Amino acid sequence: MVIEDEELLLEAITKKLKLEGFEVVSCTQATQALEYLKTLQELPDVIWLDYYLPDMNGLEFMDKLRQVSDWSKIPVVVISNSASPQKVEAMLKWGASKYLLKAEHRLGDLVNIIKEFTKGGDNHDG
Amino acid sequence: MNQRNVRVIIRFTSMNQNNGNKELFLLDYITNFFFDFSSELYFILDENFRFKEVNKTFKTTLGYEEQELIGRDALNFIYPEDTLSFESLKKEVNTEDKNYKIRLLKKDGKVTWLEWKVKKEKELVLVSAKDFSSQKETEDELLLRNKELEQEKAKVDAMLINIGDGVIGINEGGEIAYVNPQAQMILGFTDQELLGKTLIHYLKLENEKGEEVPIGSIPIHAALLSKRKVIESRYSYIKKDGTKLPVAITATPVVLHDLVIGGVNVFRDITKEREVDRMKTEFISLASHQLRTPLSAMKWFSELLMDSKSNLTIEQIQLLENIYQSNERMIELVNALLNISRIESGRIIIEPVPTDLIELINQVILELQLKVKEKDIKLAVSAHELLPKINIDPKLIRHVYMNLLTNSIKYTQHGGEIIVIISRSGGEIISQVSDNGYGIPKSQQGQVFQKFFRADNILKVETDGTGLGLYLIKAIVDSSGGKIWFKSEEGQGSTFWFSLPIAGTPPKKGEVSIDT
Repeated sequence: MVIEDEELLLEAITKKLKLEGFEVVSCTQATQALEYLKTLQELPDVIWLDYYLPDMNGLEFMDKLRQVSDWSKIPVVVISNSASPQKVEAMLKWGASKYLLKAEHRLGDLVNIIKEFTKGGDNHDG
Repeated sequence: MNQRNVRVIIRFTSMNQNNGNKELFLLDYITNFFFDFSSELYFILDENFRFKEVNKTFKTTLGYEEQELIGRDALNFIYPEDTLSFESLKKEVNTEDKNYKIRLLKKDGKVTWLEWKVKKEKELVLVSAKDFSSQKETEDELLLRNKELEQEKAKVDAMLINIGDGVIGINEGGEIAYVNPQAQMILGFTDQELLGKTLIHYLKLENEKGEEVPIGSIPIHAALLSKRKVIESRYSYIKKDGTKLPVAITATPVVLHDLVIGGVNVFRDITKEREVDRMKTEFISLASHQLRTPLSAMKWFSELLMDSKSNLTIEQIQLLENIYQSNERMIELVNALLNISRIESGRIIIEPVPTDLIELINQVILELQLKVKEKDIKLAVSAHELLPKINIDPKLIRHVYMNLLTNSIKYTQHGGEIIVIISRSGGEIISQVSDNGYGIPKSQQGQVFQKFFRADNILKVETDGTGLGLYLIKAIVDSSGGKIWFKSEEGQGSTFWFSLPIAGTPPKKGEVSIDT
């Protein structure tokens, strides 16, 4: 599951992940993502989360996630444009698995990191 | 009649009386004694106010010999300003006994203040005078001092009343003894409400988290205890109406002979400063977010395009590569600008931890290994074996090594040499990065640490660069308590040194760190 409010970035990420064989649920808002989580047959292996979203920030999203025990087990990789030390510290404390800066990484590298969190990402052929 | 003033009278009258001689002799002796040994001035004038007789104290006080006085008009010895008083004395002496303040001129030209008690006895004028010159002097001096103090107070009052800062003065018991109008205006309390109250209990201070500041951290309390000035700009006063007022407080103890006798609490409203500060933080955060989003999109889309290489011609791949590299430069530039605005705002966090500098530089070299190999550069590191770990912020210092080494690699010809030496010198650890590259022209060496500076000679060989690297690392080294300097010769190479205190860098609270 990818939550990213910038549509162009979301398109690039989705494209790349699909090319790598992932099944992708794309969301531009946090509330939309939470709705999907309620309805999805199978919970996502990993969540790609942008920190700043139109309806809530990363911390608020983590809080919502923690309220449902199944959801709280999903690894969350935060990929944001800004990473002040307080933000990173808070997010990791609230259960995020990793906090990465967007512009610092090639898409390929980010996808490789995502792969580490999926149960053998290769099996997820579309 | 006063016994003391009567020697001559007795002498004159005794001849006309037939009282017992023995009794007269004793009386004469006693009056003589008082006349001569009294500390007051006694003198007798005749009907024309000429000196007839003077006592010892008179002569010693005024400095005249007897022969200079006897027979002369007393007016000659009166201080000119007091002539009028003397004339009225002359008139009044026939009808009443009275006291006068009349100054006499001393032989040395100075003036003696005398209080005269005058008594007319037949044709003689008897005077007992008390010298109060020294008392008068003290009085005058006091008057003058009072006037000076008054003027001084008027000046201080004018300053305190018109100053833009709030001023609260407290006595040694911590009670408010003075409040200027500005303080009343800022806080909303009147001076009546504040005077006599204990400052630290009456005016509530809150910290950034909205908690009440504990007594030990209240600036005026700390200042009085430490006998030192305390400056604090993170707190807010709670005004009378309950609202918060961000203030910068300067608390100073008033120390007299090593004893604290009070304190002065000066404060100013910094609402605007805090607001500007907050806006600056927001701007940096917003700018980083807004600029990085399109840069990330370009980066990732060109990456996706390059992934599908099979459909592209070699020229197209090359063009794509150029777009990708230009975008990378843009990202680098945004990062550098953000870092600079962060360090210039003074909000950089410094988190010192014991750091092994050799380990740190080896990590940096490992990261640069690819570039070193590409240019076939010989890189040697030499370090003193017994270097202690020092307390520095490794994230910041890593940046310094990274920048110096990247510069050396970039600005050294293929097959060049780079030497890194870390050594100890006194209380400092000196890091040196030398290369035998292009060097910096003499004429431009003064601008090396300036923002956006790039030397002419390297602009031709290496177009890539922001001109911000050295500016940034100088700011880092400065804020870490060290120094940075260099030596360079065009065509021969450059050597950069920077020092770090072995004592380490003190930690600094802030909001941002480099590269986020």
